Amino acid sequence: MASVKKGLVYLLLSVLVVTQIYPLFWLIMYSLKTNEQILGSSFFSLPTTPQWGNYTDAYKGGHYLKYLGNSVLVTSVTLICVIVLSSMVAYAISRFRWKLGPIVTLVFLLGMMIPMQATLLPLMVIFKNLHILNTRWSLILPYIAFSTPIAVFILSGFMRGIPAEIEESAFMDGASVYRIFRSIILPISVPPIMTVVILTFITIWNEYIMAATFISAEGLKTLPFGIYNFVSQYNANFGAIGAYLVLGALPVMLVYFFLSEKITKGMVAGAVKG
Amino acid sequence: MASKTMKTSAIALSAAALLLGATACGTKENNTADNTNAGTNAGNKGDKEVTITFQNIYPDPETPSYKMLHALVDQYQKDHPNIKIELDSLNTDQQKLKLKTQAASKEVPDITIVNPSAQMKPFVDAGLFAPLNDMIDQNGLKDTFQKGLLDYYSFDGNVYALPDGNNIEVVYYNKDLFAQAGITAPPATYEEFIEDVKALRAKNITPIAIGEKDSWTGSFLFMNVLLRTNGGPGFLQDVLDGKKKFTDPEFTDAVSKFQDLIQAKAFNEGATSVDYNTGGNLFKTGKAAMMIMGTWETGAIDASSVGGKVGVFKFPTVGGKGDPDQFMLAPGSAFAISANSEHLQETKDFLNYFMLNMPKKQFELKNAVGSGQIIEGDFKAAGYSDLAIDVLELFKGVKGGDLAFDNTMKPAIAQVHLSSIQNMFVQKVDPANVAQEHQAAFDSNK
Amino acid sequence: MNVLKVPARTIAVFVLPCLLLYIGLVFVPIVVSVYDSLLDWDSINKAKFIGLDNFKTILFEDTNFWPSVRRTLMYAVFSMAEIPICLFIAALMNRYVRKANTLVSIYFVPVILSVVIIGQLWKTIYNPTEMGGMLNGILTSLGLESWTHSWLTEPKFAMYCLYFVSLWQYFGYHLLIQYTGVQNIPNEIYEAAKIDGAEGFKSDWYITYPMAVPIFKISIVLAFIGSLQAFDLVWVMTGGGPAHATDTISTHMYNMSFLSLKYGYGSALATILVFICLLFTVVINFVFKKVEAKYT
Repeated sequence: MASVKKGLVYLLLSVLVVTQIYPLFWLIMYSLKTNEQILGSSFFSLPTTPQWGNYTDAYKGGHYLKYLGNSVLVTSVTLICVIVLSSMVAYAISRFRWKLGPIVTLVFLLGMMIPMQATLLPLMVIFKNLHILNTRWSLILPYIAFSTPIAVFILSGFMRGIPAEIEESAFMDGASVYRIFRSIILPISVPPIMTVVILTFITIWNEYIMAATFISAEGLKTLPFGIYNFVSQYNANFGAIGAYLVLGALPVMLVYFFLSEKITKGMVAGAVKG
Repeated sequence: MASKTMKTSAIALSAAALLLGATACGTKENNTADNTNAGTNAGNKGDKEVTITFQNIYPDPETPSYKMLHALVDQYQKDHPNIKIELDSLNTDQQKLKLKTQAASKEVPDITIVNPSAQMKPFVDAGLFAPLNDMIDQNGLKDTFQKGLLDYYSFDGNVYALPDGNNIEVVYYNKDLFAQAGITAPPATYEEFIEDVKALRAKNITPIAIGEKDSWTGSFLFMNVLLRTNGGPGFLQDVLDGKKKFTDPEFTDAVSKFQDLIQAKAFNEGATSVDYNTGGNLFKTGKAAMMIMGTWETGAIDASSVGGKVGVFKFPTVGGKGDPDQFMLAPGSAFAISANSEHLQETKDFLNYFMLNMPKKQFELKNAVGSGQIIEGDFKAAGYSDLAIDVLELFKGVKGGDLAFDNTMKPAIAQVHLSSIQNMFVQKVDPANVAQEHQAAFDSNK
Repeated sequence: MNVLKVPARTIAVFVLPCLLLYIGLVFVPIVVSVYDSLLDWDSINKAKFIGLDNFKTILFEDTNFWPSVRRTLMYAVFSMAEIPICLFIAALMNRYVRKANTLVSIYFVPVILSVVIIGQLWKTIYNPTEMGGMLNGILTSLGLESWTHSWLTEPKFAMYCLYFVSLWQYFGYHLLIQYTGVQNIPNEIYEAAKIDGAEGFKSDWYITYPMAVPIFKISIVLAFIGSLQAFDLVWVMTGGGPAHATDTISTHMYNMSFLSLKYGYGSALATILVFICLLFTVVINFVFKKVEAKYT
């Protein structure tokens, strides 16, 4: 009886593996087909002759390396700032005793509810007056600002669960709050920070509307530009788009699988105890 | 507006103060951003380093338009070492969104792209574009344009933009598929047209390919019917002038005739989730017998797998009404210059050069069908296809026509129209309701 | 458990940098948007102050508004309904699979992929028979030809098809959250329960589910807020069409602000959206306070 149950569970889990991983396989197949095959053949079909040329087209036409470099730069600066800033806030609202704490928490929570499209116009005006339009700052700053609410949400949930005794004893020993934060809180918060990293990374890596609106200089554009490069007004090279999507997803996949061990451990790990 | 700008600036200023704290973090490498626009003082040209931002909708390296753009820009930069042209290439939808956002904060790039008439009017009204009258008089640029074409881009006697083309809407058809369905000659009347559609369906061939997720495509086609049932151009203009209403029989007739076409299963199944490119590819891969689209498609059709098998015909008369030599006209998207450009003169000089040399370059790249400028050249000798020659022949016979709906009516009305037409692709409608919907939108958005 | 009493200056150092950036770039814009919602403004030309007229039009005349609210809320309901299933599967995995981390990572893959990819993929699945849609292909080969549809273009089905894609995409996301929650339940509790005779599904019922409530709440909030803002997927797959049949509040807002050039009106929709978000978050919090009070 137990083994039947187990078998059923395994069957269910394997079916889910197929449905969840198939898109990746499908995309790779897609990227190796011609336009005719993509439009004409069935969903499961393999490319008759792999069109590696799609990758050359994507690589050349999409300024892959340049955009990749920009994406990496923008994303990593954003991530560093998000980690530092939001963990500080999370620490403050989860551990400090201060009157405005609950209000600040609420203000950050509100941030998760704001539709990004509604902020485009005001942001344009703000950036214009700051003279940072068409610079990397005009991406990094809003990316940080829009990523912090969810980061604070996750990190403060974790930090609430850290036993207070740890800090108290350190406090007794005369360590400053900064010291405690840096040498005790941050190190044990690594798992939820990894969670924040991957969630922020995914959002920023694929972000296009802000990038297209605030950046005009070719030398500053990020990877999503490349994808849309192939979708011009009156033409489309589907295979190359697929190839570019694969190339664009590659770094995310690498980062994800590199971090996923830590994430599964870290995602809101402390919340239960809190 | 003044108070609004004040208000936003005030907010922005306080935001600036707030930001100072935050900008302390981060890294130094971000200061490498392009700042050539900053700190210039207006003065005479010459050796001064100038960067001109050129927003455009030619991002795909495979297309002739992209090649033309880059060839001309490279050449100009070579000839003028002090001038740098920064190309901001976006896809059409994104460019539209960006320009509107930029317009709201008066940050229009030196050169941008707009659509004719009603679509560019708000920008012109806001004083965002520079008049180009003086510039088109230089080097005889004005005379290179087809007669009357610049009118679509002129307001109060000033020209505000220069078009990249001038096309008409035609019916492309796949000769092989027509033969398979036993159709011997292109239809001359709408009634024959519907018979042909049925004949094609009977052979399991998709009669007409359309990408109606981009809802302008269906509207553009529908407008052909209206152009005929109205007995000629000007229905929308008459509505604007208060002489006609959408509830008039010309309009309801057009709706019901168009519905006949849809009900005869003329279009690919599930058309409203198919985007423009995919729709076009149905025709270009031989899966559909017809495509009703602007002549800008000619080059792409020639280059596709059905190239050589494709012919072209005029949209037929409807119920005996209309003149087949009247077409849906599609004056192209056009280049406009920002009134606030820091390098207005340099930008004008560049655009002048660009427009003067575009026709020749387009001709070389076999992309000159539908050029808005007069081209003296032997298309046949230059290796243009039979289809291209046929299309050019149609151009010669054009006796006027109408502009697309969204080029004639305000955006808010156009959106209601587009969705109303899209709706016809998914369910049967009462023409009177469609008319009512249009009229209501018109009345509430005057 | 806010324990530390620190000087105001220290609090400022910890909070202000982030808070100021956040207020300047998220809060200020939304306040501006709220102000814009009182204008008749095309975002390009002169604005006219019209008070609450936009709201009046939206609530009483706009035929697309209420249906799009309904769809948006349905979106949220479906997304939230998925979470108990995720919790159930997480509990199963915890019990039957020794190293489930890899499995969880695999399930997470659709979350990573850009919405452009997801959209393309599901379009090829939902396509009409004529265009080789997979779903129809399967139905036909099963002899269920009468069941085939043009899934994304029949107003009856289109929205449900979108809900489904979203459920599929975020399955891994919520499973990950639930699984980590379940994993963190100390083993001793299960062992103690075993002695009392609670095993298998029984232990799930009495231990796993109640203990997962806090994490469950996080998932619910994230799913709710995420689906209220649903934009990208809808935009890529149907563009809100056919004829607004799949419009959500945010696509309707986008449409009004940027395509119909009624920016003030669009801002009013944005304001309403934020308000709905706020309202329901308060409700969710309230409900969970009760639930948590019952179990802990």
